[in-house]
Amino acid sequence: MNETVFFTGVIALPLLGALLATVWTRQARAIGIAATLGMVLCAGGLLLHVQQHGAVLLAIGGWQAGLGITLYADGLAVLMVLMSALVMFAASVYALKYFGSAQKHTAFWPLWLLLATALSALLLAGDLFNIYVTLELLGISAAALAALGGKREGLVSALRYLVVGLLGSMLYLGGIALLYAAYGTLNLQALATQLQAEPAAWAALLLLFSGLMLKMALFPLHFWLPPAHSNAPAPVSAALSALVVKAAFYLLLRFWLDLFPPVLTPWLANALGVLGAVAVLWGSWSALRAERLKLLAAYSSISQLGYLVMFLPLLVVLEGEARNLLLGGMVAFALTHAFAKASLFLSAGILLQHCGHDRIRELGGTTQRLPLTTFGIALAGIALVGLPPSGAFLGKWYLLDGAFSTSQWWWVIVVVVGSLIASAYVFRLLGHAFGHLKAVERPRVSGMQELPALLLALLATFGLGLGAAGIWPLVADRSGVIP
Amino acid sequence: MTINLLTTQELYVLSGVFLFTIGLWGTWLHAHYVRKIISLNVMGAGVFLILIALAYRGKDLLPDPLPHALVLTGIVVAVSATALALVIIRRLEDERDE
Amino acid sequence: MDAETLWTLFDLLLIISLAVLALVAVLSGDRRRSIVLFIIFGLLLALVWARLRAPDIALAEVAIGAGLGGALLMATLRRHQQTRDDFRHRPAWLQWSVGLLVMLLGTGMAWSLLLVMDAQPADWRLGAEAFAELDNSGVSNPVTAVLLNFRAWDTLLELAVLLAAILGIKALGKPEPAYVSENAFRDLALWLTPLLVLMAGYILWAGAHAPGGAFQAGALLAAAGIILRLAGKPDGGLPHNETALRLGLALGTAVFLLVALGVILAGNTLLQYPPDQAKWWILLIETAATLSIGMTLTLAFIGGSPTLAKDAA
Repeated sequence: MNETVFFTGVIALPLLGALLATVWTRQARAIGIAATLGMVLCAGGLLLHVQQHGAVLLAIGGWQAGLGITLYADGLAVLMVLMSALVMFAASVYALKYFGSAQKHTAFWPLWLLLATALSALLLAGDLFNIYVTLELLGISAAALAALGGKREGLVSALRYLVVGLLGSMLYLGGIALLYAAYGTLNLQALATQLQAEPAAWAALLLLFSGLMLKMALFPLHFWLPPAHSNAPAPVSAALSALVVKAAFYLLLRFWLDLFPPVLTPWLANALGVLGAVAVLWGSWSALRAERLKLLAAYSSISQLGYLVMFLPLLVVLEGEARNLLLGGMVAFALTHAFAKASLFLSAGILLQHCGHDRIRELGGTTQRLPLTTFGIALAGIALVGLPPSGAFLGKWYLLDGAFSTSQWWWVIVVVVGSLIASAYVFRLLGHAFGHLKAVERPRVSGMQELPALLLALLATFGLGLGAAGIWPLVADRSGVIP
Repeated sequence: MTINLLTTQELYVLSGVFLFTIGLWGTWLHAHYVRKIISLNVMGAGVFLILIALAYRGKDLLPDPLPHALVLTGIVVAVSATALALVIIRRLEDERDE
Repeated sequence: MDAETLWTLFDLLLIISLAVLALVAVLSGDRRRSIVLFIIFGLLLALVWARLRAPDIALAEVAIGAGLGGALLMATLRRHQQTRDDFRHRPAWLQWSVGLLVMLLGTGMAWSLLLVMDAQPADWRLGAEAFAELDNSGVSNPVTAVLLNFRAWDTLLELAVLLAAILGIKALGKPEPAYVSENAFRDLALWLTPLLVLMAGYILWAGAHAPGGAFQAGALLAAAGIILRLAGKPDGGLPHNETALRLGLALGTAVFLLVALGVILAGNTLLQYPPDQAKWWILLIETAATLSIGMTLTLAFIGGSPTLAKDAA
């Protein structure tokens, strides 16, 4: 009964909130805060439940899996759900004061809560086709939110974002058709037991993965991300960069670990790893050359997702305890990126509102005017570079460890070079921000806006750095995946 | 009889694959977004055709209703996305006119 | 010629026309022609659905795919507009390499599907389970049983997708009067609109045991709204009160969600209707959904807000 409440709450609360906010526009803000706060509580409850009782399954409608749809929560899923709930809640608090006009708030909140619904529903889905529907809900609400920026440039990039997302969904749907043809089921667990190395599975893998790679902007399919993420309103950028691309990565990981092991070959794994490596180098190099803070943050997302993909080839090779360590490291890295990137985008929004621009060269005096925000940016920067005590440090540590223990030293070079470029772009940004100006007026700053960004950055660095130990026991036991 | 059934199903599945690929090609290469949307819809029709052809079991047997439900959902989702994309396009073209 | 040969000929004819229409719609150098061909393609596709014994989808395709999709596409066209779209400005190597890649993918898909069909001809897959549980679903149309009961979670989220799209459209604001008011339409609308509304009611009711259901019925309502709009009624029959409008758009998802959650209070799990009441809950959800779908699709065509559209006109 408890798990039914948590499962339902984490998806149904934001949906209920979206409906209320659609109709009762005057109270949209309060509804938004209440719904996302409820999400955090339910996600926390679900996490504790899984911690105590192991992975849980909910057969919707009481129908057997296959005919009916299941929701499924294991350690990996609940960590992602809690991550998305926390980021959505923090960004909601930030959004309270962000939009100037009542009209913008009316437009923002229902779509925002639909995005939250889509994230929870996607992360907990145990059915291939249901995932397709959640992907579409995610893509459409994300594109609609990205278009809220309103300017022509924003509309054009939102349109491109929508179309790219649709193309990804169509490729994904093609993969579903092949799997249903071959195995006669859509349930992930049933598929995992039946899937064999045969042409239908290879073709399905190709379609599902190319769809998801497009959605997560993996090099060379990354072209759409920088304009879409940098032109959206700040809270939207935060959710897009921290959560929406990561949802696609989560599915890729889930299929990689649970569905396609019979089909995976070292060649395929390494090819994917190479794409990740190129993304790391290209993304951080572009971030170093970016003129604007929001563009820097967007390019940095491309490189951070590249790191996550670099974990995949090692996960295939390693076994037992070493594999669990690596998996936990990867989750720590993903969580860190979510909090740090959301924080960075929220801070960029504050700078944009108070300086009227986010051109990195002209950010001098920021420390004097917005000390809290600058501190938040510095902490987020530490997390993005992967310095201790951030969770990303642990992630990179285990990535290097895995690469050494399997003598795949080339990944080590990529991690080292990527981290060096990352520290260069972070310190370049901080160098400008700490630049001293003689006469600066103190802007009207609302703590409601600065605080969420700072708290997220603290979570990314100290929170995850010190509390990461809880991750490993949660993700290690994946025996419940196949009953 | 079985051979004939097989060919009917195969014929339609193969034409579904054809629609899927031609739509993918168009989505990739067209520059104008209305054409991208049309191509995407052709691509979607291809997947739907594959699914419905798989569900078909001959003239005398009931088809598998599950793919039918999936395709119905797919059609509605596709038209929602198409509508949003087309309204953004209209809005962009209006701005250009002004 | 025996019946089998005739059927095969019919199949071949249908498939070849479908493929040619798709090819020309995608490749054509003129946008206007591409849109018209795409609408004809949708109508032909409906014929294919009917041929493959999928009447529910044939209905939806005519109303939603070809009808509404076509109307929306036509609305992007302006008078005296340059409509030449040539992809031939893309470098030749790109056209060829994309073509090659796509062909390889298509060949791989075709090959693997042929192997699968060879191994399991005419397989039921999940169909057997669906029919086994049909008596417990509350309806006798198996497609409705899947949509509103076995996989109702998909349908609930699908209604949320519709809501997200229409909210996105509303957020774009500023609808433009992209319609032509024709007097000829006005007489047509006079008798067509009530007919469409009546038909929508019938299709909604029939969906429990025959082809039809909320989506087809909603699309018919939208057709009525669009015809009203074309006949010179800018609001397409939608309420001018913003709250009423928003309530209508959210109603389908809201009723669905409340039923989904309400059954939990009765001691069941999410979306588990008490078997003896399933029929009535499904009918309630479908009725609300029909109304929302009709309003959503009409508003999508109008472009966001009925009142603003009127002022603009």
